[in-house]
Amino acid sequence: MKQHPLCTDCDPDIDLTHLPLPDGLKREWTSAVTRRQFLGRSGKVLGWAALASLVGDFALRGRASIADAKSPITSPGRNTLGIPHFAPKAKRAIYLFMSGGPPQLDMLDYKPNLASQFNKDMPNSVRGNQQLTGMTAGQSRFPIAPSHWGFKQYGQTGTWVSDLLPYTGRMVDDLTIIKSTNTDAINHEPAIMFINTGNMNPGKPCLGSWLSYGLGSMNDNLPTFIVLQTKTNPKENNQPVSSRLWSSGFLSSEYAGVGLRSGGDPVLYLADPNGVDREVRRKMLDAVEEINRQTLADVGDPETNARIAQYEMAFRMQASVPELTDLSKEPQSTWDLYGPDAKEPGTFAYNCLMARRMAERDVRFVQVYKRGWDVHGDVVGVLPLLCQETDRACYALITDLKRRGLLDDTLVVWAGEFGRTVYSQGGLSKDNYGRDHHPRCYTTWMVGGGARPGITYGETDDYSYNVVKDPVHVRNFNATILACLGIDHNKLTYEFQGLDQRLTGPQPAYVIKGLLA
Amino acid sequence: MIVADRVTVAARGIFSQIRSARRTAVQIASASLLLVALPFLFRLDGRVHADWLQFLGRFHPLLLHLPIGLIVLVPLLEIAGAKRPALREAADFVLGAALALALSTLALGYMLAYGAGDSGTTVSRHMWGAIVLCIGLMLCVSARPAWISRKQPAIYPVLLTASLLALIWTGHEGGAITHGTGYLTRYMPRRLGTLFGAGSSSGAPADSFYTQHIHQVFEAKCVACHGEGTAKASLRLDSFNYVMHGGKDGAVVVPGQPEASMLLARVELSPGDPHFMPAEGRTPLTSDEVSWIRAWIKAGASSTALSIPGGSIEGARTQSPANPPIQPVEDYSRLKPEIQRMQSALGAKLVPVSANASDGLILRTVDVASTFKDSDLAQFRKFAPYIVEAELARTAITDASFDTLKTFTHLRALHLEGTSITGSRLGTLSALTQLNYLNLSGTRVTTQSIVPLKSMSQLHHLYLFNTPAQPVEAATRNAQ
Repeated sequence: MKQHPLCTDCDPDIDLTHLPLPDGLKREWTSAVTRRQFLGRSGKVLGWAALASLVGDFALRGRASIADAKSPITSPGRNTLGIPHFAPKAKRAIYLFMSGGPPQLDMLDYKPNLASQFNKDMPNSVRGNQQLTGMTAGQSRFPIAPSHWGFKQYGQTGTWVSDLLPYTGRMVDDLTIIKSTNTDAINHEPAIMFINTGNMNPGKPCLGSWLSYGLGSMNDNLPTFIVLQTKTNPKENNQPVSSRLWSSGFLSSEYAGVGLRSGGDPVLYLADPNGVDREVRRKMLDAVEEINRQTLADVGDPETNARIAQYEMAFRMQASVPELTDLSKEPQSTWDLYGPDAKEPGTFAYNCLMARRMAERDVRFVQVYKRGWDVHGDVVGVLPLLCQETDRACYALITDLKRRGLLDDTLVVWAGEFGRTVYSQGGLSKDNYGRDHHPRCYTTWMVGGGARPGITYGETDDYSYNVVKDPVHVRNFNATILACLGIDHNKLTYEFQGLDQRLTGPQPAYVIKGLLA
Repeated sequence: MIVADRVTVAARGIFSQIRSARRTAVQIASASLLLVALPFLFRLDGRVHADWLQFLGRFHPLLLHLPIGLIVLVPLLEIAGAKRPALREAADFVLGAALALALSTLALGYMLAYGAGDSGTTVSRHMWGAIVLCIGLMLCVSARPAWISRKQPAIYPVLLTASLLALIWTGHEGGAITHGTGYLTRYMPRRLGTLFGAGSSSGAPADSFYTQHIHQVFEAKCVACHGEGTAKASLRLDSFNYVMHGGKDGAVVVPGQPEASMLLARVELSPGDPHFMPAEGRTPLTSDEVSWIRAWIKAGASSTALSIPGGSIEGARTQSPANPPIQPVEDYSRLKPEIQRMQSALGAKLVPVSANASDGLILRTVDVASTFKDSDLAQFRKFAPYIVEAELARTAITDASFDTLKTFTHLRALHLEGTSITGSRLGTLSALTQLNYLNLSGTRVTTQSIVPLKSMSQLHHLYLFNTPAQPVEAATRNAQ
């Protein structure tokens, strides 16, 4: 043992076993050293596995993707994930996340009978014993607020769509509209966490991370899972979204979503500084990698592996990202379709166009966040803004994917974390109202690979308050998304905290066959 | 006096008489009468009796295999004895032992049924079968000397055959008590099943969720004790009407109220609970099965509903006729080392469609698209029969590659968007009978050059966006 320079009286030959310590503690310490050595050794193995995965090794891919420190110890028999479990309909997915809770009553869940019940009290039997949010629990009455907008029937399916969504109306024959989505949480953070990760508490991997972990990358030059945030409109009520939502939880951090910035450089510090060319960068990375590998061998932390992988990914992204974000070669038809907003980085339309470009380049999973749907008040003032920003862009994305032949194997999902109430929050007047959070039913849609086109699934009661037919719980919603991508949600698991963890949680979840093509 | 004593005394009496070789028709008849009278002296009334009866009775399943083995051995010895007389001598002893054991087994079995309060048609059939078997064996013992001395050559073989038939019948009924009536026929090939008239009726439409799923669970896990044969607690679960009728404690299923349904409550208890079902260590219901039952009750416990919210079951969906079955490819597993070498050399990957090898491989070139040439593609010829999808978008391939592509006989999807193909060789693709998806977006194909594709009836998805051939209205042709 090396003597500390400031220590004057300690014995340099001191040995753990000679100290007057309880035997149990000594044994524990001895075994701790053994464990460290063991991890150190397995780390070396893992390092090579990681290297193999970086060169895109076919045979090692399955093994490498689970090659983090826990796996060889806890599940020695597992050497491949065997995913997809069955032939998938969709290879990739785009998730348009409407954060805040879009009001289904003003968009797709048409309730013509409500018009005659303006400002009447909602029957108590409808609400039952449901606990409300603190924002409306104190209200003395719950006056019904019919939608301010008219609805029209569109397409061969004759689906009713609000006048706020004329572009959505044009594509209803392709959509799988789910009116009976329901969740367990009534507030933003738990609800958005729940639909993204299958658990209301942070710390679990999100859908994108599970896909990344389970299916791996298709394009080695771009991240497997990319997150695009839409810049906020100050007129809207923006709830925060954070990187917790695209975290990989207990999975290795290589599987976390990579956020691309909405303005300026999409990835900060990606460009080489002046005077550093690609070769110098390569040499520098090689040296760093060697050091990292030594650390990995000594400590055996799987996160070192993730770090090595991320350095390599960043190096490849130096070339691939500028090409990805260069819109100068887009034909005029693109701008005609997406509208002028798409030229401005950070808008929802721009992000939809980017999502299409990523799908084209085989990025496995793109999640676009659009905030501002939390319309507690001034629905009449704010909702048209939200719909203008998103309606045309969604239509453009679907149409673009469709005409380019990408919709056959790309699943697009449009969903928020919950819906909104039929009764008005705050004052209800002839021309304005607010709507509170509502978890019992809300409307979502999907389209593309695996989803059954041109159907409306599930029904709500006259007040769009309770599901009366074919409920789709968020867990089942996620199980169905995984099924479109060839994954059996019961089999995509990861052992952590003594559980075979899965996206749909420990409770049973089901694939909703009625939603599948 | 207790049952066991009576039976064993009777048995011992009969046995000693047999051994003493003073067999008379009167004695056999009295022993048989005693056996036949047994069920009337101690009626199987469905009530539970003394515990010690059950304790001894539970050795019945243990013991019963011995007499079965011995009884089957008797005809074997008799037949083989034609050549080797020593065996025929042994048959006498084996037959005697078989009778003794059969009587003990019968006694234990009766104690089990009487003690545990079992009743029902299967139980009584099993019992009567055993009684007939024992009487048959006694008659065999008495008829055998006459057969050996060739005075009565016919009676013994007939009696022995009859005893064997009784044995099969009794054994089958006994098995039905333990494993349920459908145990043998459950996994029988369907055609064979209809021949035997197997497969019980659920009392509900054949395509209903009840018949498809709930009834199957009851059949497999419950009707052994709650069925036609044995109806413990007067509850039967072998058809919809019986399920809804309930048992001696009233209804077990309350439509719409899983919490109030006793059936669900019992199967959800902890396995250690005395009221837990299925009882006596039989296979418990899986959590999936419990949740189907819960979903079914919650949705109103209907006999006709085709699907239940939250109750979808993996694998229940049948192939829709609109999508003809796709041809599986052969297993490529043995080629894996070669596939790997190819990949490290060319950078293009051959990726499995799924864990199932017959789903084939995808040729993925996205990482090396700009440098992927005709000659590179040609190297994949040897994997041609395994490739079901070729992603060649934005690669450097030209019209020359069509010679390679036409050998990809199992190709279902072909991506050629953004390549420099001209379309002059598109006719070559008509050799690909499985091709369902063809993407020619951003190429120079013209309305003229795509004409040969029109004859490909499987080609439902053709994409011509951004080409001279693009239709004015839509860029896709969709057969549906």
